[in-house]
Amino acid sequence: MWLGPSLALIGAVVAYPAALLIRASLSQYSVTGLYQGSVGLRNYARLLRQEALTTVVANTLVWVTVIVMVTLMLSLGLAQFLDKSFPGRRLVRWALIVPWAASLIMTSKLFVWIYDYYFGILNPMLQSLGVLHHPVDWLGDDSTVMGAMITVGIFVSLPFTTYVLLAGLQAIPADVFEAARVDGASAWRTYRSVTFPLLRPALLVAAVLNIIYVFNSFPIVWTLNDRNPGFGHDTMITYMYKIAFKSSLRDVGLAAALGVVNVLLILLAVLVYLRSVRWRAQEA
Amino acid sequence: MRRRRLTSLSLVSAVAVLLLIGCDGKPGAAVTSIKVVIADYSKDHTRPFWQRLSETYTKQTGIKIDLQVVDWNSIDQQITTMIQNNQPPDVLNLNSFSSYAKDGLLHSADQVMSVKTRDDFLATFTRGGEYQGTLYGFPILSSARAFFYNKDLLARAGVGAPPKTWDEFVKAAQRVQALGKGTIGYALPLGPEEAQAEWSIWMWNNGGDWKSGDQWTINSDKNLQTLQFLSDLANKHRVTQVNPGRTNRTDGAFQLFKDGKVGMVMGFSPLAKQLDTEGKVNYGVAEMPTNAGTAVTLAVEDYLMAFKKPGNQDAVTKFLELYYQPETITRWISAEGFLPVTKSGLDRMRADPTLKPYLDALPNAKLVPTTDPAWDKVKLEVQQNIGLAVQPGGSPKQVLDQLQRNATTAAGGR
Repeated sequence: MWLGPSLALIGAVVAYPAALLIRASLSQYSVTGLYQGSVGLRNYARLLRQEALTTVVANTLVWVTVIVMVTLMLSLGLAQFLDKSFPGRRLVRWALIVPWAASLIMTSKLFVWIYDYYFGILNPMLQSLGVLHHPVDWLGDDSTVMGAMITVGIFVSLPFTTYVLLAGLQAIPADVFEAARVDGASAWRTYRSVTFPLLRPALLVAAVLNIIYVFNSFPIVWTLNDRNPGFGHDTMITYMYKIAFKSSLRDVGLAAALGVVNVLLILLAVLVYLRSVRWRAQEA
Repeated sequence: MRRRRLTSLSLVSAVAVLLLIGCDGKPGAAVTSIKVVIADYSKDHTRPFWQRLSETYTKQTGIKIDLQVVDWNSIDQQITTMIQNNQPPDVLNLNSFSSYAKDGLLHSADQVMSVKTRDDFLATFTRGGEYQGTLYGFPILSSARAFFYNKDLLARAGVGAPPKTWDEFVKAAQRVQALGKGTIGYALPLGPEEAQAEWSIWMWNNGGDWKSGDQWTINSDKNLQTLQFLSDLANKHRVTQVNPGRTNRTDGAFQLFKDGKVGMVMGFSPLAKQLDTEGKVNYGVAEMPTNAGTAVTLAVEDYLMAFKKPGNQDAVTKFLELYYQPETITRWISAEGFLPVTKSGLDRMRADPTLKPYLDALPNAKLVPTTDPAWDKVKLEVQQNIGLAVQPGGSPKQVLDQLQRNATTAAGGR
């Protein structure tokens, strides 16, 4: 009986919308959004026939993998750094929160102006440092768009990840380090054999939450990629939006089908990740 | 809880219906409030104007207004969701209408508008709002493109007058570009934001068109020649900004022009307003350069439409009549910096000398084929693809053929 309210909440915010999404994915709508009847699984079949699908899936894979991995690596270092006490630590900790607290759209717009070919500060900066000889159209050149977007993705994922890992670090009792020191372990050895294994739960949480968060991220790709025609740099989330409202498909049913696929895919990814991690833990 | 609310709602409406039937015996209860969805043209003017209009309306009729001012970026999404959930607005402001008319969702003009109001519309815009010969999309405002040039840059480049033909245009652009230091001859925005507008103007000024009669003619020889010309501007003559196929209008081409980096650009009256406010660029406004004898420009008509909902006909009629009072509609259009859609509005706005070039162009301006429901898809297809044709290595022919195929498919079914 005590479960009642929470079950009702889950029903209202998870199950009901999910049911609506699935129903929409089995229906046909006109351009205006008018319901025109059920079509069974036809939207799913059409989805598989979309030319852009392969590119979009590959983009998504790169987008999620690179951001999550680089973020975790950088955050491990940052968390270690913030765990040490040094003058001004509080200030640095606060400063790290800023990109997290700022709205994603604001941050993305800011980066659009940093990257911009004519007005951006990145090109003049790199040119004066001698890294570049000619300015680069970061957001318009096919070879640099994804990298530019991923950089922003990492930038905004760092704070949360670092704080999760920092909390993990601070949860490690001081006496295990003392024991390691008594045993005469080097700093690197201590980190590898004591800190890292004890950090594993925090790392797991950070990885899973980041996978979901980065996969579902819409504003960065949407804002930085809005000048590019076609679907060459879209992830599955922005592709879904374009199918529904911004491409000539203009099809809510087809977009809903992709929405269902997205949810299943992210569940699958997290499951695979958790299994592989547990498998490795048992082996060790 | 949902069910309870539904029950009480149906109870209330049942009582209301009974009461009304008791009163005058007409079928269908008149509504006591209407939902009005307006696109956000500017932060300063749109909401205040419609808020005030709603208050006046409620005072006069006793009918409440649920006013929603929606950002252009998300308006398609929000309207689609409303219709999908079977909660359409009563009055909607948008840049397309014919798909809604085709789906049978709209009141026609004779159901919600007096003859006097209808007759005041300029003929171009009445035609632009008709679906299969019936007026469903009521003009709310219009705008027209014009050719903007930076007087200082053209003078420094030794170009005496703004170019009238395409040959003159290429020469002028080359000279401005040759000034160096990042100066750009012509800012060409073919990115997804508004590519269909830029493309329309070039297409028409070479004698091509979207359609001929009922047939789409996107890949005609004339149009292929036009797109090749634009591609040459970017890749052969090199007189445009970098990556024109990936430059949007507002934060790309206009921004560069406002910054004084660009010799020429296709602008419209709101851009003039911004340039005047900033006072940084000494600019002139001229007719489009043409390759077909007479200069053609693009006019854009935005619409108001009335959705069919039980009992809302009278309330919607009163609302539209209130907006189309000559004094009211002109007050709003002037505040937003756009152009009139009514004869009375045209007379009133002639007094403003800064609007002269646009008002002069308006009678000869052409509209994109918004009256064809297939346009809603064709437009998006053009926005997402035409930029690819002017990229290095892009193929104008391939892009136009693809657009033509998809337009024909969109016209054939859904």
